Amino acid sequence: MAAVTEEIEQVAQRYARYTAIGAVMIALLWHTGYDLTVTITGWNDFRWPAVAAASWILYTVIAVVAARALLRTSSGPPRGRELALPVLALDIAVIVACYPKDLIAPIDWGWGSVGWLGVMLLWNRPHGRGELLAFLTANAGIMLAAMAVTGTLDRVSIAKYLMVEVGSITLQLGYLAGCHTLRVRAEDAVLLARRLAADDAWRESARRIHADRLRRYDAIRDVAESLLKQLADGADPGDPRVRADCTAGAMRLRRLITEREDVPDELVSALRERIDAAERRKVLVTAPPFGENLPDLPEGVREDLLRAPILALDGARSRARVTVSAMSTMMSVAVVADNDDLPISPTPIREPSGVVVTYQRQGGEVWVNSIWQGP
Amino acid sequence: MGQQHLAGPVTVALVEDHQVVVDGVRSWFGPPSPVELVAQGSTIESVRGTAADVLMLDLNLNGTLVIDRVAELCGGGQRVIVFSEHEEPETVRAVLDAGASAFIGKGRATRESCLETILEVAADKPSMTPPMAQAIATDEGPHRPQLSDKERAALLFWFQSMSKASVAARMGIKERTVRQYIDRARVKYAAAGRPAPTKEKLLICAIQDGLIRPDEVTVYTSLAARADNTASP
Repeated sequence: MAAVTEEIEQVAQRYARYTAIGAVMIALLWHTGYDLTVTITGWNDFRWPAVAAASWILYTVIAVVAARALLRTSSGPPRGRELALPVLALDIAVIVACYPKDLIAPIDWGWGSVGWLGVMLLWNRPHGRGELLAFLTANAGIMLAAMAVTGTLDRVSIAKYLMVEVGSITLQLGYLAGCHTLRVRAEDAVLLARRLAADDAWRESARRIHADRLRRYDAIRDVAESLLKQLADGADPGDPRVRADCTAGAMRLRRLITEREDVPDELVSALRERIDAAERRKVLVTAPPFGENLPDLPEGVREDLLRAPILALDGARSRARVTVSAMSTMMSVAVVADNDDLPISPTPIREPSGVVVTYQRQGGEVWVNSIWQGP
Repeated sequence: MGQQHLAGPVTVALVEDHQVVVDGVRSWFGPPSPVELVAQGSTIESVRGTAADVLMLDLNLNGTLVIDRVAELCGGGQRVIVFSEHEEPETVRAVLDAGASAFIGKGRATRESCLETILEVAADKPSMTPPMAQAIATDEGPHRPQLSDKERAALLFWFQSMSKASVAARMGIKERTVRQYIDRARVKYAAAGRPAPTKEKLLICAIQDGLIRPDEVTVYTSLAARADNTASP
């Protein structure tokens, strides 16, 4: 699950970054393409052109601050909310720089443009959407107040006002909502892809287990058939060899019936393979069912856990017992076997992976135990 | 094995649906064994009403797992030993939590180990078979008993090694101390999560919880003081 979270986090970050770059591009293009053009071309139409120019420069400075934060952190600057106040002030300044008759004219660029600066300042910040809404409402309110003060409340002016407000707010909020939807969809897609991949892996594992079980059932059937044939041909059921063969067959069958995990653990699979191999050599192997909640092992631990016990199992003469004990941060694998040739170490061996292997020989049997303790 | 405090042989009722297993167990219990099989059947109902010191129960009866019947059986004060190939730690913990006195794994059971467990359970002594050791050592549930590192290690090694003697050699302690660790873990487990249907089990829990001191209870003193398998008075 950690990997999935990480991937979603990456997708979210990538989307936050590129949509932030999008917002910067729109605001800067708007500010240079439209605001600068009308400020220069309408220079003589302003009441106080210097105020309009100063407002443009202030806008640019705040935009640069916001853009730097956005490009670095994909979020608006830490003081975005405080910076929104001078933006509203420059909005008022542009209104004041115009003659009242030009309040709704294209030359009054402030009120249609500051919305984009608001988007940049409040982008991807906690409560950003609510704050942006408040900012845009304040902007609309300022303009409406200016119209009321200057007496420009005729029907044509109100219609123009509404058209510009609706147009710019729709664009600004629409961009924000669109980016959000895009990001959520992308995160969903990551989740879905992971789920599909997990399903595929599970299906493949289940298919492999099924095939493996069929193979082992076949092997047992062959053994059973040959045993029955021997008995039918007059083999003595009291013969220790025949009895040992029957016991071995019964043990394998019992293990097949009691094993029940859906997706094989790699360590358990490796052990099962060696148990099968030992049984083919007529070694009587007992192995209680392995648990279901085996911990995830770091790189190299599985190999170190298995090496010594498997050596003991591979060299077993006639009998062996394989046990696995696991907790969330511990895994212990042990083999007790009548293995006469296994070289044993009198002191515990510590592998670099943290696995500790202990040997003991007692009464014709060797006990090999490897333990890994997690952090 | 401490059975002498009982007047006659320990009586056992067996619930098992495979005739071959019944025959095997019966051969273990034949004279001169201190245990006697007094009833046998393939369903729980078939042995109900039989007065036996210990009920041995196969978990898988005619294809159905009867884990959920264990509590009801133990609730009446019956000592129950589960005898099953389902040695998964979760299953073992489930039957112990339901009140079973012990769990014998069919895969590893020998005549000697089986008789020892039956005699210990009949005497209400803490008994610990390898599957139980595994289940208790790896218990990570919220109500798990607080085992010391030594107790947990002893349980784990007892499950995975060949004998208590090999556990002692591995831990560098006496075999008697290994037994003490294992018994103590069993008692802790009993106190932490198990009902105590018999008086003796209740005593063990009470001592563990510090409600009474061991030397106030004659029967417990004799258990705790046993150096090896000698008889209690």
